[in-house]
Amino acid sequence: MKTPDIFYVEDDIDYAFFMQSAVQEVRDSLNLTIVEDGAEALLKLQNFAESKTKPKLILLDLNLPGMSGLDLLKFIRDIPYLKSIPVILFSTSDNPDDVKASMEFGANAYLTKPDGYDNLVKCVHSVHDFWFNQHLRLN
Amino acid sequence: MNNFSVDLTNCDKEPIHIPGKVQSHGFLIAANKSNLTIAYISENVGFFIKENPKNFLDKPLSILNTFVDQGVPEFRIEELIKLGVLKKSFDAISPHLLEIGGRSFYLIISPSHNHWLLEFEPVTLQYDIQSSIGRSASLMLKGKSVSALLKGAAIEVKKLINYDRIMIYKFLDDGHGEVVAEEKEDNLEPFFGLHYPASDIPKQARDLYKLNLTRLIADVNTEDSPIITFLEDQPLDLTNGSLRAVSPIHIQYLKNMGVYSSFSISLISHGELWGLIACHNYSPKFIDYKAREGSKLIGQILSSALEYRQEEEDLEFVEKFKDTTNKLTEYLNRDKNLIEAITGHKETILDVTQASGAAVIFENNLYTIGTTPKQEDIYDLAKWLRETSDETIYYTHRLSEIYLPAKKYKNIASGILACTISKDPDEVIIWFKPEQISTVNWAGNPDKTATSLENGLLTLSPRKSFETWSQIVNNTSERWLAEEVSSVLRIREIILAYINKKANEIRLLNEKLQAAYEELDTFSYTISHDLRTPLTSIKTYAELMLKNKSIDEQGRKMLDRILNGAEKMNFLIKEILNLARVGRSEISLESVDMESLIKEICTEVWTAFKADKAELILGHLPNLKGDRTMIAQVFTNLISNGVKYSSLVKKPIIEVSGYADGDEIIYAIKDNGMGIDNRYYDRVFELFKRMDNVKEIEGTGVGLAIVKRVVEKHNGRVWFESQLNSGSTFYVAFKNK
Repeated sequence: MKTPDIFYVEDDIDYAFFMQSAVQEVRDSLNLTIVEDGAEALLKLQNFAESKTKPKLILLDLNLPGMSGLDLLKFIRDIPYLKSIPVILFSTSDNPDDVKASMEFGANAYLTKPDGYDNLVKCVHSVHDFWFNQHLRLN
Repeated sequence: MNNFSVDLTNCDKEPIHIPGKVQSHGFLIAANKSNLTIAYISENVGFFIKENPKNFLDKPLSILNTFVDQGVPEFRIEELIKLGVLKKSFDAISPHLLEIGGRSFYLIISPSHNHWLLEFEPVTLQYDIQSSIGRSASLMLKGKSVSALLKGAAIEVKKLINYDRIMIYKFLDDGHGEVVAEEKEDNLEPFFGLHYPASDIPKQARDLYKLNLTRLIADVNTEDSPIITFLEDQPLDLTNGSLRAVSPIHIQYLKNMGVYSSFSISLISHGELWGLIACHNYSPKFIDYKAREGSKLIGQILSSALEYRQEEEDLEFVEKFKDTTNKLTEYLNRDKNLIEAITGHKETILDVTQASGAAVIFENNLYTIGTTPKQEDIYDLAKWLRETSDETIYYTHRLSEIYLPAKKYKNIASGILACTISKDPDEVIIWFKPEQISTVNWAGNPDKTATSLENGLLTLSPRKSFETWSQIVNNTSERWLAEEVSSVLRIREIILAYINKKANEIRLLNEKLQAAYEELDTFSYTISHDLRTPLTSIKTYAELMLKNKSIDEQGRKMLDRILNGAEKMNFLIKEILNLARVGRSEISLESVDMESLIKEICTEVWTAFKADKAELILGHLPNLKGDRTMIAQVFTNLISNGVKYSSLVKKPIIEVSGYADGDEIIYAIKDNGMGIDNRYYDRVFELFKRMDNVKEIEGTGVGLAIVKRVVEKHNGRVWFESQLNSGSTFYVAFKNK
C-alpha cells in the first residue's frame, strides 16, 4: 500500500472534492487519501500502524458523524507508531472552546475552513510550505 | 373677662341621673337590697303619709306595711320584693295598686345598684286603657310608608295621653333633630319640619332615653322634693326611676317654650336611639302610669315597625344595587374590555349607587357617565385624592368645603365617593352627587349664648327664642348611604378579580411570546448556520469552474452571477446570524474604550466601502458601559450606514461624538447623505425594511434592527432625526451606570 502524504478525514464530500483540487493545484505530486467517517478512519489508521506506513500529515474535520475529530486525535496519540505524525484539526467553527480542546488533545494546529476556493488554495499552500518543508528539514 | 363662650353643650357635664331630687307628684323610698332597711327617702313623703320622713331612715322596710290601708290579701312589702327577686324581674309586679289614707297609688319597684327603688305615684285613670292601646296599635300600623307610620303614631299617642302637641322627632347623623311628624291642637303653630340643634337634647340625656323608654315631666312649675339619706357622698342612681327630677336647665328650656308638661317616648332602631315621640302640653297635665305604659308600648311597636319598614325601603335599592352588580359581572365575563363592560350597557357602574354621575380613570384614560365635572377637573380631583387619602374608599357630601377647587363644580359634585382600583398606575372610580341647596328651619337660633346673671357670673341658660330661624345649607349633597359604600366595595372586588384574571392571561401570553422569540432566535441561528455550508459549496464550485479553460465567455458570465448571488446571500446570512446572536447571548457589561473602538471601526468601514472621499469628524468619545462586541456591532452598522447613504453626495461628511446627559451617555452619528422620509419613521428599525430612496444602495434591512435590539438589550434608547436629501443623525443612549 502506497503511503499517503496527507491523510484527510472529511464527511463533507464537496469540501473533500475542493481539498483534492486545492492540494493538486499546490503540488500535483502530493498524494492525498480521504475517508468519510470516523469508523473508516479508525480502520485505516490501524492499517497504517500494522503495515508501518506513516502519512506525513493528518487533517481531521472536527465535526464528524459518530466519532469526532477529537476522538480520532486521541486515538492517534495513543498509538506509539502514529503518535509523532503532525495532526491539524480543520473546522468551520471558530469557537474558542473547540480550539482549546484540540490543543489539549495534542493537535499541532487548528485551522478554520477558508471561505472560497482561492482562500482554500492559499491555506493549503501555507500548510504545505510549513509542514512539508519543515518535515524535509527535520529529516 | 366673663366673655368666654358657653353653650348648652356644657349640659353634657351635669350628672342628671343622680340629682338627689324627685318630682313632687309622687314619693320615693329606697331600701338596701341586703337587709331591706330604708336608706333613702324623698322629703315629700310627709305630704302623702303623715310622718316625718327622717323617722323612716334606717328602719326596716316592713314599717311601710303599717301605713298602707290593709285589705285582703294583706300587703307585705317584703313579700312583694321577695317575689320580684324570685322572678328576677318586677315587670309583672309593677305597678302594684295600693291605698294610703284612702288614696290610690301605684307602687313601682326597680333596682338601683345596691338598692331597691320604690316609687309611689297617684292613680288618676279610672278606666282600663288596655283595649284602646290595642286599637291604637293596629290603626297606626295601617300606615304603609315610614312617614304614614309616623303620622299614625302621633295621632294614636295623642288619643292616649291627650296632650296638646305630639311630635315625632328624628335624630340625624350629627345629633341634631328634625320634627318628621306632628299631631297638635289646631290653635298651635306647627313645628313640623323644624330642626333642633344637638345641644337641645344633650348626649347623656340621649343615653338615658335608651335605658328609660318614657319620661314624664308632670309640671315644670312644681318644686322638686329632695331625697334625704344618712349616706353621705353616695348619691342614689335614679336611672331606672320615673320620678327622677329634671335638670333645671331642661325645666328652663321647657318654660321658655311655654310648655308646662312634657312627655317623651324613645324610639329605638337597631339598638340606637332613632328618635323620640315628644309630647308637650301647655298646661300642667299628669299622665297616669297605665297611660304611660300604653304609650311606651305604642313606642315599642312603632320602633319595631320602623326597623322593618326602613329595612324594606332599604332593601329596594339594595336589591337594585345587587342586580346591577350581577349584570356588570355578567358583562365583565362576556366583554373583552373592562370599560365597555361597566359603562357600555343599559346597567352601568353608575347604578351601583344613587349618584348622578360617575368617572372611571383606567389605563390612563378617563371615561364618564351621567353628569360629571370637566375632564381636567376630574384629573385634578383624582390627583388630590391620591395625595390626600390612603384609603380604598373616600367619600364626602361636602367636597367643596374640604377641597376648594371643587367650588366651581359644586352644583354637579358636592358629594363624591371615590374607590381606588390601583395606586400605581393611578386607577380610580369616582361617583358624583349634585349639590342640594336646602333650607333648614331651626326652632330658634342654635347658636345660643349664656345669660349673664345680676351678680356678673355667666350661667348656662337655654335659649328663650324659638322663632323659626332659617339657614340655607349649601355646598352639600345628599349623604352617601352605608349601602352605597358597600355596593361600591362589592363592585370593586369584582373589577379587581377581573383585572387579575386579565393580568394572568397577559402574563401567560407574554411567556408564550418569550418562548416563541427564543425559538425564533434558535431557529434563525441554526438555519443560518446550516445554510452557510451548502452556500460555500455553491460558491466554491463556481470558482472551480471558472478555472476550467473549456468554459466559454457566456458560461463565465453566468458563473460570475452565481458567485455574486452567493456572496449577497452569504452576507445576509451573516447579518441574520448576528441578529440572532444578540437575542441568544447574555450581555457582559464592561467599560468600553470608545476612542479606540470607533477608530478601529472607522478604519474597517472606510476600507470596506472604499470611502476615500468621505470626511470623518470625531468629537468627544466618552466610554460606554456595555457588551463590547455588541456595541461594536451597533457602531459598525451606524457608521457603515452613514458612509453608505452619503456615498452619492459630492463631499460626504460623517460625524461621530458623544456626551453625558443625566444618567445616560448619548452618541450621535451624523451624515449629510440622502436622509429618511419621516413618514416612515416607525418602520426604520423594522427587520428587512428598506426605504424607497435607497433601492440603488446595497443593504439587507437587518442592520438597524440589530442596532435596536442591542440598544434595547442594554436598556438604552435609539432614535434619529432626518431630513430628505440633507442627512440623518442617529442617536444611541446608553445608561451610565
